[in-house]
Amino acid sequence: MLQVYLPITEISVNLVVMLGLGGAVGFLSGMFGVGGGFLLTPFLILSGIPASIAVATGANQIVATSVSGALAQWRRNNIDFRMGAMLIAGGVAGALIGVFLLKLLREAGQAGLIVSLTYVTLLGIVGALMLGESIRAIRRARAGKPASGRKPGQHSWIHGLPLKVRFPRSRLYISAIPPLVIGWVVGLLTAFLGVGGGFIMVPAMIYLLRMPTNIVIGTSMFQIIFVTAVVTVLHASFNHTLDVVLALLLAVGGVIGGQFGVRAGQKLRGEQLRALLAVMVLAVALRLLFDLVLKPSELFSIAPLVSGA
Amino acid sequence: MRAALSLAALLLALVPAPAQAEEVTPAPTPREELQADLSTRDISIQSNFTGIEILIYGSVDFSQTKAPDQGTYDVIIVIRAPAQQIVARRKERVAGIWINSPGKVFPSVPGFYAALSTRPFRAIASDETLKSLGIGLANLDFGRVSKDDPNEETFRSAVIRLKEKQQLFQEHDDGVAFIGRSLFRANVALPVNVPIGRYTADVYLFRDGELISKNQSTLEVNKAGFEQMVYLLAFTHPLIYGVLAVLVAVLAGLAGWAAFRRE
Repeated sequence: MLQVYLPITEISVNLVVMLGLGGAVGFLSGMFGVGGGFLLTPFLILSGIPASIAVATGANQIVATSVSGALAQWRRNNIDFRMGAMLIAGGVAGALIGVFLLKLLREAGQAGLIVSLTYVTLLGIVGALMLGESIRAIRRARAGKPASGRKPGQHSWIHGLPLKVRFPRSRLYISAIPPLVIGWVVGLLTAFLGVGGGFIMVPAMIYLLRMPTNIVIGTSMFQIIFVTAVVTVLHASFNHTLDVVLALLLAVGGVIGGQFGVRAGQKLRGEQLRALLAVMVLAVALRLLFDLVLKPSELFSIAPLVSGA
Repeated sequence: MRAALSLAALLLALVPAPAQAEEVTPAPTPREELQADLSTRDISIQSNFTGIEILIYGSVDFSQTKAPDQGTYDVIIVIRAPAQQIVARRKERVAGIWINSPGKVFPSVPGFYAALSTRPFRAIASDETLKSLGIGLANLDFGRVSKDDPNEETFRSAVIRLKEKQQLFQEHDDGVAFIGRSLFRANVALPVNVPIGRYTADVYLFRDGELISKNQSTLEVNKAGFEQMVYLLAFTHPLIYGVLAVLVAVLAGLAGWAAFRRE
């Protein structure tokens, strides 16, 4: 019932399941304040969508959710546009490399493997770090000690780099190199994994650039809009792996689910939320890892030959 | 010289023979002829497409069957989609992880293939006949040249197995049914993942292991409406397609923001 044919994936999916998947990921991302791409793309892969289509389509879906997120942040004046521009410049450069890397891997038949492996590594590290941090925070809260905030006066080697630029909104005067590099890494991940990259960018901006926390989320969403848009166009142009019908289904579910997620998230405490998210991230990583390690029931696979041209 | 002469004499004696035979049988029964058609000649894939069942039907003109259950004739129907280049890969364990090995390319694998018949193929015709007509999955030619590779057969059968699992390869040796003395019909289900293109439906009529008539019809499978538009745009103007996809996503995001802003 309610089957929808996906014109590029060339399979028929259940409308309710795909809206639900978008909604569930949107709910989680609203609740935890993360983009959700790092959950959506693995879920799509696990539900049988080829990895390269999942990546391109995931990026397109993130454009939609980050537009509504960034607008809300912009209304509260929480975007540092100059910093955003730096992150975008780095991001676009990274995206170009990521798209061609994925194209090469797809031609070699290794896209699924490498995308899954990268996810396992990345989600494993991020999940473990988050879980450790949130458990310590919960213990501290139980012991009644105040949560340790960031120390604004501290300077690191990053502040000694050349090419300094003034970022008035963030009240920073730092080198342009770190934002460009952070943007570059995030752009690479966006093109390669179909994620917004907020889960890397936000900690990097807080701990490396020492930007004020309230501006970090809005600025990262601002960057994500443009980099995911570029990635979408690049994948569509060079890999023909973008399924706009699937992206739209996921986006509709995601935008609606996100609104409910925000409300649900306000009822939970920060540390608990992060612990919950960490457990979920680790579960996704483990699930992907099992698929790589366990002996598959079918060793063979067939695919249309993708020519090098 | 004498040998040549006797050969000539022998030829002279033989040549008029058919003419004589014709004179002996004054009213020859007309040779059987096959007529066949499909229930549909155009299939359009639209958003609600979940696969389709088509009917192939036909009749044997000048049937010499005396009784409906005599089973004088055998019919084999082969439906094929245009061939594709397929790469088959086998997973191998490398450092504890299952990794695709470099694949083997099969240059011409039918995108869809179904063979249906009244009885098992080998009971109908000889292996050579089946092979030359490409009847049955075992007799398909995937266009690979190297036959000395020991893994060749493993990969070939894997391609067939996977295609069968996707219902893109089908074999039904009881798929064709005769109705009365000359009518026959068969159903074939095209799954949702059928490739697009011009399909051929070949119908072969056999009697006593001999091919006595054949018939070919074509079937167009195409995406239609919105699905066709998206597909064409994505492959002919990918840049425009990508930009439009971004615009759609931006609009969806704006709509979501506007819808929930007031609350």
